[in-house]
Amino acid sequence: MDIQVVHRPGNSAAKLTLDAGESVTAEAGAMIAMSADVGITTTTHKRGSGSLTKTVKRWFAGESLFLNHFESRRAGSEVWLGTPLPGDMTSMTLQRESLIVQGGSFVACESGVEVGVGWQGFRTLLSGESLFWVKLQGTGKVLLNSFGAIYEQPVDGELIVDTGHIVAFNETLQFTLTKAGGSWLHSILGGEGLVCKFRGKGTVWCQSNNQRSFGTALTPTLRARSR
Amino acid sequence: MSAQFNITPVSPDAAAKTLAPDPRGLKFSVQGQPDYAFLSVQIPANQTLKVEASAMATMDTNLAMKTRLRGGLGRFMTGESIFINEFTAQGGPGEIGIAPGAPGDLRHVYLDNQTIYLQNSAYVASTSGVAVESKWQGLVKGFFSGESLFLIRCQGQGDLWFSSYGGIIEIDVSGEYVVDTGNIVAFTAGLSYNVTKVGGYKSLFFSGEGFVCRFSGQGRVWIQTRKVGPLVSWVWPFRPSKK
Repeated sequence: MDIQVVHRPGNSAAKLTLDAGESVTAEAGAMIAMSADVGITTTTHKRGSGSLTKTVKRWFAGESLFLNHFESRRAGSEVWLGTPLPGDMTSMTLQRESLIVQGGSFVACESGVEVGVGWQGFRTLLSGESLFWVKLQGTGKVLLNSFGAIYEQPVDGELIVDTGHIVAFNETLQFTLTKAGGSWLHSILGGEGLVCKFRGKGTVWCQSNNQRSFGTALTPTLRARSR
Repeated sequence: MSAQFNITPVSPDAAAKTLAPDPRGLKFSVQGQPDYAFLSVQIPANQTLKVEASAMATMDTNLAMKTRLRGGLGRFMTGESIFINEFTAQGGPGEIGIAPGAPGDLRHVYLDNQTIYLQNSAYVASTSGVAVESKWQGLVKGFFSGESLFLIRCQGQGDLWFSSYGGIIEIDVSGEYVVDTGNIVAFTAGLSYNVTKVGGYKSLFFSGEGFVCRFSGQGRVWIQTRKVGPLVSWVWPFRPSKK
């Protein structure tokens, strides 16, 4: 499978070119156009590896309950994938390794990659960000999206990232949730709240914008809920 | 009717550059592509340019504006403005700056007795030789597309500009191609389309794709990389609660 991302970073979309018999699993609703002879099936799980619990977990992660499987019947057929919000896309290749992806940032993966959901504990709940993370595991290409532009942050030792700016990270990294400032009061007043402290060697993919910050900035201009 | 459309390629040079891609057409420039395309058109003396209502951002003082009904009664039902503004350069040439409603990209085509169909909010501007009309899609196509019951049909001779929300991808169809109904910006008249479900019935309800447009024939489809709907649903939870 060949992945080409166009119109980066603001209006990105990805063109996947498939060989005959190749298949790709994508987040429901991501397809914007495709060759007419590409087959599509919809399941609640990655084919051949699913269970209902996984599905429910994915739903909690802010992902759709459903995944679409696109299957090519000839070499060179195309599938175009887009993102719901303005932002960037990036692809990478996994080699028998795991990638932890923020709920909502998963777009697609090749058939050699399994889509699972990792429980990150109750502490994540406090951060106000996604409770679950999607775990991509195996060998093959994966495609992620972000709100705003994506940039890589190599970690060798320790690095602190605001929870709202994490797109994905290597599973080789350990992380703990902690306060940003010296005291809890300063952390909360400073608007940083909880941050992730990564430890080890690996890469964190970050997004330039924070969905919650933009959303709350819009709040005063929106019409109030009726009840 | 000629099959070859005079589609203006996007300049790789991001800086403003005045183009007159067809010697019969007007001179214009597009800035801010692909994220925030903004159009400037030079209108020769005593000529008229049709512009989508409320899209004018700047203009020379010798341009006179007149508001007209666009395309008849069908307009009322499209949810779009039923008016179109005509700008006429009086006593000499004049320049007009046009800002499309949504942040996104913009394309130009010089129609030579040809027809292009636009999704309802894609129309930006055209010269007087281009007839702009609402075209009833039929209840079934219109209803299931989840979009509008109408398309805008632009035909005749002259310049046509249209815009998108998000980036634009051009696809030259030869045979068949499937496009999500919400991502269609425009397509050339050589193509016919059907609104169908994607995959089986399970996919119809759960794939998140719903109904798609299946284009067939020879021609070009312009698609946009974003849809307004998902942005609106994302904003929804951020509404304040009433005291």
